[in-house]
Amino acid sequence: MVKYNKYVQIGPPTATMAAAETAMVKVAQKYPNTVVVLEDMGMPGINWFKENAPERIVECGIAEANGAVIAGAMAAEGFIPFIHSFSFAVVERAYNQIRQSILVDRFNVKITARDGVWGDLGISHDIVEGIACTRILPNLVILNPADAVEAEKAYLAMVDYVGPVYFRMEYAAPAPFKIFTDDYPFEIGKAYQIKDGKDATIIATGYLVTEAIKAVEILEKEGLDVGILNMSTIKPLDEEAIIRVAEQTRAIVTAENGTIVGGMGDGIAAVLAENAPAALVKVGVEDEFSQSARLTAEVDELKDFFGLGAKDIAISVKEAIAKREKFGLIRK
Amino acid sequence: MAHSREIVTDLEDKANLVRRNIVRIFESSKQGHAGGTMSSVDIVTALYFHHLKLDKKNCDWPERDRVVLSKAHAAEAIYAVLPEIGYVSKDMLDKYYAFRSQFQGHADRWCTPGIDYSGGSLGQGLSFAAGMAKAEKMHTALKPPAVRVTAANYPKLILKYNPAYRVFCIVGDGELNEGQNWEAIMFAAKYKLDNLICIVDYNKYQLDGPVEMIMPIEPLADKFKAFGWGTYEINGHSMQELVDTLELTNNLYGDGKPKCIIAHTVKGHGIPVWESVHLHYSRLEGTTIAVKEGREIYG
Repeated sequence: MVKYNKYVQIGPPTATMAAAETAMVKVAQKYPNTVVVLEDMGMPGINWFKENAPERIVECGIAEANGAVIAGAMAAEGFIPFIHSFSFAVVERAYNQIRQSILVDRFNVKITARDGVWGDLGISHDIVEGIACTRILPNLVILNPADAVEAEKAYLAMVDYVGPVYFRMEYAAPAPFKIFTDDYPFEIGKAYQIKDGKDATIIATGYLVTEAIKAVEILEKEGLDVGILNMSTIKPLDEEAIIRVAEQTRAIVTAENGTIVGGMGDGIAAVLAENAPAALVKVGVEDEFSQSARLTAEVDELKDFFGLGAKDIAISVKEAIAKREKFGLIRK
Repeated sequence: MAHSREIVTDLEDKANLVRRNIVRIFESSKQGHAGGTMSSVDIVTALYFHHLKLDKKNCDWPERDRVVLSKAHAAEAIYAVLPEIGYVSKDMLDKYYAFRSQFQGHADRWCTPGIDYSGGSLGQGLSFAAGMAKAEKMHTALKPPAVRVTAANYPKLILKYNPAYRVFCIVGDGELNEGQNWEAIMFAAKYKLDNLICIVDYNKYQLDGPVEMIMPIEPLADKFKAFGWGTYEINGHSMQELVDTLELTNNLYGDGKPKCIIAHTVKGHGIPVWESVHLHYSRLEGTTIAVKEGREIYG
């Protein structure tokens, strides 16, 4: 029987989208200066705005460059604007606009995006580089919640925080497990140790926390005690937590739904190299683009194709342990 | 209504003062976007010394008129004005472009009191200005109306009621190559942003050469009109035309149309050595010659 830490109670899969919708309505009611700047791609909670506050909807059409700058300007005038689309559009199409007209002056804009490789329309819309291309931008906080409970809490926290935030949503992913209890205390910048383990630690983010939980259960049966650190804030990384688990186990596996080139894994690699040497194996999409897959039936196949499933994570854990022995790294 | 000769002459003197300050800026920095700065001097003077609603004691006054300098490489023109208003000390004129200076190479909201937009990446300013104008409309809409609007008082109210602030956006002609401007132009028309005034500093030259050769933007006025904007073409070095047209756009507030003033200007205007070659960027020795010339003309 796998033993988890406080605030963790694994339950059946629950969609995060509904949590984001609920959170957005709470946000809209708590902050009357919340406005939605649409880019013809809807928004979580948009129906509430249509029914209750249509005057707080600003529709820019399919013009993401303009939309990002309109949002920046409205934030300069005291509103809390949300922009939302697929990450290739809301972030990549408007990359310099976000840099110049939002981040330079730290305008309080919340960017929410569908991101990750889930067979969602294939190569154009299924984005591998969402984390990598945002992680390098100064003044930006990046959140990537693991389950519905955390999604709602992170959504509210991002609005209580004053400044630009990129909130990543893995919409097309299979629903993640319900992981956290309702009293779980989410905090921006704090990674949560879901499970302790002395043999290795998986540092996972977003939906891959669910896969990490499955992996840990497989490994437990094989006699390995593996920990999980939930890295729901990708920027700023919780360096203290990374160093702590690195010193404890000296064998780290990072797991993210996105490219391993410049992604969260590379950020963690830098923390390890500078502070606490540990054997590292990165789980993520290799240096390539995605393709489409039919919802439900083929997503598992796609997950295995890109090596993002529990089996791949479990293999990577064993690799990391073997590397630690090879490197002769001593655990604390 | 036409402005009196006294007002116009006074503003022309102010424009020369601005040019003198710009010469001082170049004297110490030895570099900068000379051409686009000089072409916008009269526009900037008309705005800051006459037309804008400002609080000289508080550059963050919420009801101040906003200025979005989309062609932020012409920041020297506004930097030459800010000490005269009192937002920064006059010593700053000698610190343009310097490390840790309040006067950065491109206009920067974060560092400089009185700057509303951090520009430099061309093509975004008009969107930012439209966003500010939309925000003004929304703040007004979200507040309960002071006077109940009825069928009887509606036309009168719409003429008398002023926005909390107006947004003035100065864009370059070459910058209109950027497609995003046209997204913003559609947006402003859709939301009837009659509190937004775009001024095109149409100096006919961009970095690689004449605008009509690099990427023709004509017929410019017809394009703005076709997008639903109120459009005016003037001589951007005639102070009379500038202040009269700006006042006209103010008086048309309530017509639901964003306004565009196409100001025909001359690149490098006021410094003959720059004017003769439509100079874009001035460096080192070239600057020394221009500064000497500028000192002779503006003191």
